[in-house]
Amino acid sequence: MTLHLVKLAINNIRSRRTRSWLTILGVLIGVTAVVSLLSIGTGVEQAVLQQFKDIGYDIIVITPNTGLGQASATMGGPGFAGQSATTSAAPPSGRTFSPDQIGTASVPTSPSSGPAATVTAAAVDTQALLKAVTGLVDAGNLGTRVASVEGPSASGFLRVTTPSLSFLAAFPSILGGFTIANGTTFTNTTENEVVIGARSARTLGIGIGDVITIDGSEFAVIGILASSRSVSAESSAATGRRRNGTARAGAGTVGGVGTGASLLARGMTNTDDSLFVLRERAVSLWISQAGSSFTIVRMATGAKVDQVMTSISAELTAQGVLATPVSVQQIAANIQGTLGMIETVLASIAAVALVVGGIGLMNTMYTSVLERTREIGILKAVGARDGQVMALFLVDSGLMGLIGGVLGLVLGGLLSFFGTRLLGPALGVGSFQPVFGTTLIVGVLVASFVIGALSGAWPAWRASRLNPVEALAAE
Amino acid sequence: MITFHDVYKTYLMGETRVEALQGVTFELPERRLAVIMGPSGSGKSTLLHLAGCLDTPTHGRVNYNGTDLGALSSRGRADFRAQSVGFVFQKFNLIPNLTALRNVEIPLLLQNKPAAEARKRALDALDAVELRDRMHHRPSKLSGGEQQRVAIARALINDPKLILADEPTGNLDTRTGQRILLLLKGLVEKGKAVVVVTHNPEIAASANTLVLLRDGKVESFSTSHGKEGLV
Repeated sequence: MTLHLVKLAINNIRSRRTRSWLTILGVLIGVTAVVSLLSIGTGVEQAVLQQFKDIGYDIIVITPNTGLGQASATMGGPGFAGQSATTSAAPPSGRTFSPDQIGTASVPTSPSSGPAATVTAAAVDTQALLKAVTGLVDAGNLGTRVASVEGPSASGFLRVTTPSLSFLAAFPSILGGFTIANGTTFTNTTENEVVIGARSARTLGIGIGDVITIDGSEFAVIGILASSRSVSAESSAATGRRRNGTARAGAGTVGGVGTGASLLARGMTNTDDSLFVLRERAVSLWISQAGSSFTIVRMATGAKVDQVMTSISAELTAQGVLATPVSVQQIAANIQGTLGMIETVLASIAAVALVVGGIGLMNTMYTSVLERTREIGILKAVGARDGQVMALFLVDSGLMGLIGGVLGLVLGGLLSFFGTRLLGPALGVGSFQPVFGTTLIVGVLVASFVIGALSGAWPAWRASRLNPVEALAAE
Repeated sequence: MITFHDVYKTYLMGETRVEALQGVTFELPERRLAVIMGPSGSGKSTLLHLAGCLDTPTHGRVNYNGTDLGALSSRGRADFRAQSVGFVFQKFNLIPNLTALRNVEIPLLLQNKPAAEARKRALDALDAVELRDRMHHRPSKLSGGEQQRVAIARALINDPKLILADEPTGNLDTRTGQRILLLLKGLVEKGKAVVVVTHNPEIAASANTLVLLRDGKVESFSTSHGKEGLV
């Protein structure tokens, strides 16, 4: 009987083609909104989380208390415009910066003391940190500063990041994998070598073998990094393949790791706009330059992040360093929570569209019952039971809901596909794929049929309760 | 055999009570053509609806072969309509968006008969009314006479013992009406009990039993064998 009911319902939908399609359109719009927002939202979440995974959930970043915002503004912005107030206020030969004093915080003591009066904390002693804190396996400092750069065809101020060779070996993911697109990575610590971010290389118009001047010292360009975004796109595409694998770049794989430029890395060190000079060279060349720095540590497998964080804070206090540890796990959890909340709100708004579609369906079914009253009477006269009449209308409305659901799923999928192409760059996570989980697909199809059937339930019940004599008398 | 025993039917039209039937008592024999006549509003159609389980009496009993139809549940009445009775209406009452064939199949499909069996029996029924060649046409593409023949085919599809026809020739021209009458008489010859509500004297002249209603009461009852049908 179910098959016969479905055939009758399809026949009815086809016989009222225009109205049926308009009704289906209402459901379709709602489903499209839900599908596109959920799939894009899940895609963004997975892309962002994948980037944290690429960096490594075992990483803890220790940032100076002068404020990550200030440091981020300095390091995360475009190379020619991303100078902090501190940096731009200081002349090139102004305040003291020493890569050995990484973690140094410059905090005004009072409003009247002026920018020149600062309290300088001691540097993070990474060896002492490793000894003092149980559960750490690696620790390294990463310095960054803005420097005057002169190229063959252009010049300006660019950010210079100063990792040590050991840092590059231990924490390549912090620098987006440090993937070399052209040339090589650093070969020694005695010569002035520079590796350049992709955009900086384009801006300066330089290639491998060129010589540029950084704060008065000449450097040979030995490598150009892969573009962060292209790498990020590769990373997103590879997400599915690597989901169950080890996402973190292994130590000692500098230059060959395709983990992609991470969100966190872009927040700390934008590889596209940066120049990279070995810390060992920076120490000898720019002993008296201002800058900022981070300390990166890696936890041992099985170490408890809360305990490690507490121990780090205690050790920083013991060392007299004004800095705060933040774990990648914490950042990822916070972002995941925020994204989840935004996703829920957006899906709720989209669900309103679906409810409106359902009400439209109910209206159509109610009208249909009024129009088909005589037909209901005929069906009852030839032996249809109340339940069969009700089922006929439920299948009718459920089918319209289901058709709207299927079409909405397809349209939502297309919208998501193109939407992610536009949203990815805008959100700064590169291009990423929308996620269509089985739960989403099955859930949407079931929900659209149920919403359709529920919308038709009341009209169907009315139809089933019609007196056959009165129904037959209807015009 | 259908027996009406002291049957009353009262409708409420707004706040007005309409006494459609007032103490009707008689019985209709099997395998006969029974005609119910009377002026408009006399209760003819109401009587037919009660006999076909489309409605229940306000008071009294309607029995069909010993079954009190008024005591049946909603589902029981639906099953009775599906299995024991076939309706033919003045306005044909075909489902407009279904073909003639699908209209005839519907009663069997409602009883969960296999599609192949329903198709075969529907084609046989359309053969019986000589409309097989029009089976894929929708009602709007059929003439009045053809629509009524499709309706008769539908009424016959379940092979019921009782055919109830409400003004079956009312919307047809004389010649087509005569053809429908011949079909109905042919059903009686095949052993069906046919009850026809009509104003058509030609049909009345063919009746084995004639019931004349006026103001909801039996004014006269006659059979080809006298008035023994009154109980």
